[in-house]
Amino acid sequence: MDATAAALIGMGLAALGFAGSGVGLGILFGKAIEAIARQPAAEAQLAKYIWIGMAFVEAVALYGLVVAFIIMGKA
Amino acid sequence: MVTDAFAATGEHAAAAGGHAAAGSGMPQFEPSVFQHEIFWSIASFVILLYLLRKYVLPPIEKVLDARNEKIRSDLDAAETSRREAEKISAEIQKQLNSARRQAEQTIEEARLEAAKYRELARESLGQELAKKKTLALAEIDTAKASAIAELHHAAVDIAMLATEKLIAKNMTKTETNKMVQEAITAIQESKIPVH
Amino acid sequence: MSLTTASMDFPAHAVAQAAPKMDPLHHFQVVKDVSMSLFGIDISTSNSVYAMWISAGLVMLFFHFAFKDPKTIPGRLQSLGEIGYLFVRGMVDDIIGEKGRPFFPYIFTLFFFILFCNLSGLIPGSFTVTSQLIVTATFSLAIVGFSFAYGFYLHGKRYLKFFVPSGVPLLLTPLMIPIEIISFLARPVSLAVRLFANMTAGHTMLAVMFLYVISLPWWGAWLPFGFTVIFTGVEIFIGFIQAYIFTILTCVYINDSIHMH
Repeated sequence: MDATAAALIGMGLAALGFAGSGVGLGILFGKAIEAIARQPAAEAQLAKYIWIGMAFVEAVALYGLVVAFIIMGKA
Repeated sequence: MVTDAFAATGEHAAAAGGHAAAGSGMPQFEPSVFQHEIFWSIASFVILLYLLRKYVLPPIEKVLDARNEKIRSDLDAAETSRREAEKISAEIQKQLNSARRQAEQTIEEARLEAAKYRELARESLGQELAKKKTLALAEIDTAKASAIAELHHAAVDIAMLATEKLIAKNMTKTETNKMVQEAITAIQESKIPVH
Repeated sequence: MSLTTASMDFPAHAVAQAAPKMDPLHHFQVVKDVSMSLFGIDISTSNSVYAMWISAGLVMLFFHFAFKDPKTIPGRLQSLGEIGYLFVRGMVDDIIGEKGRPFFPYIFTLFFFILFCNLSGLIPGSFTVTSQLIVTATFSLAIVGFSFAYGFYLHGKRYLKFFVPSGVPLLLTPLMIPIEIISFLARPVSLAVRLFANMTAGHTMLAVMFLYVISLPWWGAWLPFGFTVIFTGVEIFIGFIQAYIFTILTCVYINDSIHMH
């Protein structure tokens, strides 16, 4: 296996980190919908935290992307 | 193929920036540009901060303060007019109440008067009836008296007639008396009321 | 990358020539324009620097036109400017409170600078300043360094208690202190990488989709093209959210150093 192939595999593995972010987003929005269903009056307040939380969770996936790019540079 | 493209990218960067950047995948990790980026980030930020503080924030704060002031004064004015309206409404309520009271009083008065009149009417009617009754009784009495008087007259006439006849037949005094008595009895027995 | 050549019928040398242009990361390339130096510091201009200037200029231009003739009953542009102002002020007041007032101009500038950098980068042909790790790292290091220094300035040595979590058994404290220190050190890294990675990822995604558009035949190109249209809208949203997150975390860090948790 040459270095390029290894780098490509590594990039793909780094992209696996997106799965965690996906789970996180699912939990986040699932719980958010649950909370809003229980307490519709709090929706405006919850929405703020949902978007902030979404940005945090999404950032985790993007760290994986950065790692993939770094590996790409080493290839 | 990937490496070809990256190599080409590196060459491109080298050609454009005049720095060697072979093998770097992400242009963001190219250290040769860091210095001027840091410098200009800070410089741009500071200049923008200065300009915003000097030319942008004061007018925004001024206009917002002016609006707050206006809202406050408008609210105060609204409060004053509200109070005035309340006062007027209270006055109208008072007037309404007094009018209602007056109307009630008038109605009560009318009712009392009507009752008075009714009482009066009843009283006068009773008096009239009583008067009529006494009149009628008096009439009846007169009629009865006249009837009795007539009866007496008739009795006397009969008695006189009888007496005449007896005298004509030369009767005795005892016989005459007896006859009178008989006549009276006869009259009494004919059930004519006598007082 | 491989996708560019796999679906194209061009001869190999044409692909090799086109390769730099087919790189989805190409538009992150900082190209120096005028080389200058000041006291040994490189202060050359580049496309990134120009984009910074343009973004800062757009902020100034926006507020200039919004408040050119400020009225008590605002027009559309003035309303927009006021919403932006009140948004940042609400953020500062909510998180820091009364003591945050002196920092308001800095946070206001930070928010609008980052927001306009994020949004102006979406214009085709322009440059996204916030997709440069070094730029976001400069800001995040400055913010966290300032909050640390300000904490020391306010509280003196007591500020070191910041790294000792309260309500933890004494036995665990030696274990917790390094964790707290590491989490503090992670602050500038996560702050910088979050903004940089969001911008980079979004724009790379757009670039990859555009490569599909030019490499696919006409009957297939509409799909990635439609996706780029939708995703540009998402990117505008992300630009707002990330500017908001960056600013709100700045407020949180400054609040930590003022009030200590």
